[in-house]
Amino acid sequence: MFQAKNTSRREWLENLSIGAGGLGLALLLKKDNLLAGSTGGISGLHHPAKAKRVVQLFMSGAASQCDTFDYKPKLITEHGKDWDPGEKVELFQSTPGKTMKSPWDWKQYGGCGKWINDCVAPLGACVDDIAFVHNMVSKTNVHGPATFMQSTGFVLPGFPSMGAWVSYGLGSETDDLPTFVVLPDPRGFAPNGPKNWGAAFLPAEHQGTMIQPNRESPIDDLFPSNQGSLGPEGERRLQSALSEINREHAREREGDSRLAARIRSYELAARMQLSAPEALKWSDEPQHILDLYGIEVPNSSTEGPMNDGEETRHFGRNCLVARRLLERGVRCIQIWSGADNGFPRRNWDSHEDISRDHWPLGMGMARGASALIQDLKQRGMLEDTLILWTTEFGRMPCSQGSLGRDHNPFVFTNWLAGGGIRGGATYGESDEWSYKPAQPESPTYCYDIHATMLHLLGIDHERLTFRHNGIDRRLTDVHGRVLREII
Amino acid sequence: MVFPSSIRSVACIAFFACALTASFCQTLLAEDVDFRVDVAAILSKHCVRCHGDSKSEGEVNLSKRGSAIGSDKDSGVIVPRSPDQSLLIEVVSGEKPQMPKGGSPLSEREIDVLRRWIEQGAAWPEDVELRDDPLDWWSLRPLQRPEVPTAVGGEDLHSMRIRNPIDAFVNARRMEKGLRGNPEADRRTLIRRLYFDLVGLPPSPEEVDQFLGDSSPNAYEELVERLLASPRYGERWARHWLDAVHYGDTHGYDKDKLRPNAWPYRDYVIRSLNQDKPYGQFVREQIAGDHFYPDTRDGVEGLGMLAAGPFDFVGQIEVSNGTIEKARVKNIDRDDMVSTVMNTFVSMTAQCARCHDHKFDPIQQKEYYQLQAVFAAVDRADRSYDEDPQVAARRRTLQAEREGLQTSLEAIRRELKERGGEELASIDQQIELLQKPSKGVPPEFGYHSAITNEPSDTKWVKVDLGHDVSIARIGLAAPNDDFAGIGPGFGFPVRFRIEGSKDTEFSNGVVSIFDSGETDFANPGVTPRWFEAKGDSIRYVRITATKLAPRSNDYIFALSELMVLDESGKNIALGGKVSSLDSIEAPIRWGAKNLIDGIYPGRDLSDSEGSLEAFRTKRVSLVQSLLGEDRWEAFQSLQSQVQKIESQIAGLPKPKFVYAAATDFAPAGSFVATGGKPRPIHILARGSETAAMELVSPAALHCVSDLPGDWTLSQDATEREHRGALAEWIVHPKNPLTWRSVVNRIWYHHFGRGIVESLNDFGRMGSDPTHPELLDWLACEMRDGKQSFKDIHRWIVLSSTYRQSSAHSPENESIDAGNLYLWRMNRRKLDAESVRDSILQTSGKLRLDAGGPGYNLFGLIDDHSPHYLYDQYDPDDPRGHRRAIYRFIVRSVPDPWMSVLDCADATVLVDRRNETLTALQALAMLNNPFVLRMSDHFATRVESKCDSPSDRLAYAFRLAFQREPTERERAILLELVREHGLPQVCRSLFNANEFIFVD
Repeated sequence: MFQAKNTSRREWLENLSIGAGGLGLALLLKKDNLLAGSTGGISGLHHPAKAKRVVQLFMSGAASQCDTFDYKPKLITEHGKDWDPGEKVELFQSTPGKTMKSPWDWKQYGGCGKWINDCVAPLGACVDDIAFVHNMVSKTNVHGPATFMQSTGFVLPGFPSMGAWVSYGLGSETDDLPTFVVLPDPRGFAPNGPKNWGAAFLPAEHQGTMIQPNRESPIDDLFPSNQGSLGPEGERRLQSALSEINREHAREREGDSRLAARIRSYELAARMQLSAPEALKWSDEPQHILDLYGIEVPNSSTEGPMNDGEETRHFGRNCLVARRLLERGVRCIQIWSGADNGFPRRNWDSHEDISRDHWPLGMGMARGASALIQDLKQRGMLEDTLILWTTEFGRMPCSQGSLGRDHNPFVFTNWLAGGGIRGGATYGESDEWSYKPAQPESPTYCYDIHATMLHLLGIDHERLTFRHNGIDRRLTDVHGRVLREII
Repeated sequence: MVFPSSIRSVACIAFFACALTASFCQTLLAEDVDFRVDVAAILSKHCVRCHGDSKSEGEVNLSKRGSAIGSDKDSGVIVPRSPDQSLLIEVVSGEKPQMPKGGSPLSEREIDVLRRWIEQGAAWPEDVELRDDPLDWWSLRPLQRPEVPTAVGGEDLHSMRIRNPIDAFVNARRMEKGLRGNPEADRRTLIRRLYFDLVGLPPSPEEVDQFLGDSSPNAYEELVERLLASPRYGERWARHWLDAVHYGDTHGYDKDKLRPNAWPYRDYVIRSLNQDKPYGQFVREQIAGDHFYPDTRDGVEGLGMLAAGPFDFVGQIEVSNGTIEKARVKNIDRDDMVSTVMNTFVSMTAQCARCHDHKFDPIQQKEYYQLQAVFAAVDRADRSYDEDPQVAARRRTLQAEREGLQTSLEAIRRELKERGGEELASIDQQIELLQKPSKGVPPEFGYHSAITNEPSDTKWVKVDLGHDVSIARIGLAAPNDDFAGIGPGFGFPVRFRIEGSKDTEFSNGVVSIFDSGETDFANPGVTPRWFEAKGDSIRYVRITATKLAPRSNDYIFALSELMVLDESGKNIALGGKVSSLDSIEAPIRWGAKNLIDGIYPGRDLSDSEGSLEAFRTKRVSLVQSLLGEDRWEAFQSLQSQVQKIESQIAGLPKPKFVYAAATDFAPAGSFVATGGKPRPIHILARGSETAAMELVSPAALHCVSDLPGDWTLSQDATEREHRGALAEWIVHPKNPLTWRSVVNRIWYHHFGRGIVESLNDFGRMGSDPTHPELLDWLACEMRDGKQSFKDIHRWIVLSSTYRQSSAHSPENESIDAGNLYLWRMNRRKLDAESVRDSILQTSGKLRLDAGGPGYNLFGLIDDHSPHYLYDQYDPDDPRGHRRAIYRFIVRSVPDPWMSVLDCADATVLVDRRNETLTALQALAMLNNPFVLRMSDHFATRVESKCDSPSDRLAYAFRLAFQREPTERERAILLELVREHGLPQVCRSLFNANEFIFVD
């Protein structure tokens, strides 16, 4: 209502306030300056941060908890018998089959004695750095909405991804590389495609930038295609002429900071052209690092739509690239294992055959993830890098057909490591079947995971907001509890 | 300022606050705080809603002196002269203030006012009461034409002519603020501004020359008329509307299927704007065109708005009905319709009342569900219609005639059924069994093996008949799947064997029924193929494909149906147990159990035809005997008349399809049309599908005074009528929201800032109007005039306010840096579409073919879930040289180049686009193959026109910037031409700030 005469731009923006004090304000000011690579959407951290960076490992298609991290002896003893959880079960595709144990054995690892399935055995080496959450619940059993829920906190399209919120909240640590990077599965996109890392109503600069190390040009438009290129010297010449023309133009138009900001964005682009290829040169790594990530393992003799050798090389390379990007100041990275729901199977959606699909995916993921944790640790970076492993929902303890498992939205597993996470912890048990939470009244949702992640980054999840169509939107909607038990 | 003693509403105070003069504000910091002027508005805005007479939460009541301060000093909420002891100050301050609960925190300025007011003794005149009347809000107040301020001071003082009422309103405000308007921009700037604003393209050098050389006093007005009459105008302004309603050409979500019939709605919007359709009609068509304008093209295509948003394909089609999951999907689907309609047309965020009453605006949860109830019978689907109203009318007449005849036929059939008894019933049952399914491709395609790269791979599928049985014939039917354009005969093996055995492993006693050996078997299309068995007794039948069917670049084995007839001719494979080497389980279409479900495309072509014919003959003689000769003839004549009408209907031009709100469409899986019968809508406690409460009936909002939100329609009113009633509520002259909303949108797109900044939210969480009287004046023009977009455009672009230069001025800046009061024109950054269109136009490549299906800027692989491959786009493909509004918009994988330029996200209702300047944007403009190829074409165009490097540079500048280069620019760029050639200079011009910003 009140509009003072002597308002500065800052005050004007404040009067139009987008809500939560410093956050929104900082954003608007930032928009006003339009400075690429500037500071983030919060003017200062809400509390001291444990973590500076986040890596989200997303298993697309719904990775089975009871074949990886959620050990249930009862599935072994009851294997092959009728499965009766004591209530009617509404499945996505099928009717419940027999109780089915994992096709592989379980072993205990680490000081904490965590049971880990052979399918993801390489992660056994890291269990003392990991906190497991076994009572995750999804609001839907359909891939698209469930993938949105884990990536954006909402079951419908139109909301910013977790990484976009982190970028909006904290801004970048470097001008030379994007703040939020996505490494998709080389075979293609998960359900919802790039909307899983979109900015939605947040400014576009916060959307994930795709890097595909398997491609000839891993970042879109980083360089002109051969045909149009002038070579490095020529490109520099062109950019300097452009800059002069732009300065001439700006000289007659004083007072508009956007013109200078755009000139600067070209300077930043030139710096990114120098930094990005260097960051992506994973082949420069010493042999023992390449070996750690399994970059050169050959294909195994197993047959099926996927091969564990190939999975290990793909996922390992993405993990290694991720580590190099983290070292160079990238704030948030999302790595995908698994593509869309097409055929032949190219993701974790093992309706037909758990052992055919989960083995190669599990071995590939576990090798890369384990290497990433160990590598960050030996560089002293694990303590301020948070790693979050997730999937859109879990799979049923009973069989579908004779070898597969149907969707289980009622229980699945997440795990977190580094960045202030209490290693070796297990929080939130599932029931004896790994069918529902042991305490159905207090499940864990992605809201709680996201709240915990923001907390470790120094952000109060209730205060990271953006006004959109009348609502101060949050990553955690109106929910979210920081899981103090695991930090 | 006099406050009546009985009613002291926020209205008075709010109005007063709006009318605050600049001089007053200026002195505020230095002088005493006045309760009426400063404090009342703050308490009213932030506090009284929960702490007033109607609701005194925590027993705190800030509505009047007695309760707020009172004599009891211990209450401590307001302690005069001691702000630090006052709870009020404590709860609203700090980094995370406790109050207002759930609302925007107070600004520092507001807190400061409260603090100083308390410091100065917290004077509160006895006669002032604050009342929170939720309906008393600027946007909800009746719309009345305000008086136009008379200009004082004349041109000299304001350096600007008062050309029309807009200038008068803007000028009055500027004077209050002590601002001086900018002089008129030069002509080159004006023509550039008008072109980009009205048609989204740069003017050609010839058009610029003509305008610069036109000495007629009406040159500017004539240019405006020319542009408003151009078909390019609709293409530009439709984009703004499509942003608001989140139009897209795919469904979004998982799989993100194509929506090939969305574009007629896009073209409808373009056409409506070009025709300057009255706004009321535009609204009616989009909510209930089928009710208001039956049989018209626009009446159906307009309904594309309700369907414009995302569609959860898996949830709607594959998830079973009756599940909670399904309820969730339908709820979200309707929520999108409610949000789209209410945000777009009346700028109210009704969707905030889905889980509870709206926290800030007078919208109850019940009202939200009543709005859902308006859309409870419609789904998003392909809706058929006739473009030609005459054909539509003819179709309707024929359908009515057919219906009449059928009523007579039905009467006879009922009689026959009664008299025919069990004999007729049994014949009918046989016929029905033999006939079904008669039309179309059933959704249950059949069995589908895993996909392989080798045609010579062997694949098998077998059925267990349950026990040994003597078999006579085996039938194989092929699927009909349009994938890769294959259709009938899809996946039918090129070579195969049919074997039987009593042993599941086929290790002994194998009976060979058929073996194609080394000869290719002719693809049977949809006609089932039959193979004679010799009465062998077997339990298992196995089909082994030895040469697979080609698909796109790979090979498969698929069968729609395996039939095993026993000696009595009964199909004993039905419901048997199927196993296979491998199988793609993708219900509903593909799955092993579809192999023995009795459903296959060519069913009525099978040789059951023989027995079918026999039953038919039997039926005819029975009916004949039942009816007697005369009535039999009458019966037959009725039937033949129906047939005749049906063939007439079939002879009409094929109906078109538009993806729109529909109550009648072809079912797909569990996605079935309502036929116009609304689904029951309950209030959902906490918005949860598992907590359904009271059933509600359709209604609008109740927050507009003088305009009831309920309507009375008879019990048997159609669902269209309810949508019609909502549309009437929206366009009613007494609905101030609608008219304010639309003119504010138009204003926003001209100036880059709305009179109300939050275009979609006129509630308490939105922003206040900077020029409330101007907004109302424009809204009245819209409502009471021809309801014409173009009239509003004319008022705006002809005003002096619009024609100002965009130059900055330190003096004005110190008062109003954000240019809220329009002392200059805003310099605009081009949106993604305008950038693309301008690059094409400048390169001489832009194609102006209007309308029709969108063009793909990507390669497409459509296997189960489509892949959109933007790296396969060829910038030289002329299909992609049309205006950007005609591109095919993918929701899940948006065009990366357009997205990085801040293009609208088709999954979000976009009232205003974000504007960013990033390094990735710079890279996209510098290096994208589209820009590089167009730089070449731009250079070729220039080279073909001029010879010397200097002339070429000059012409390139005229094309790109509508002016000649300066000496300095010549020097810089001619050197670049010498070193690297003209295309590189063209590339620089595309990347220049001057190309992207419009003064």
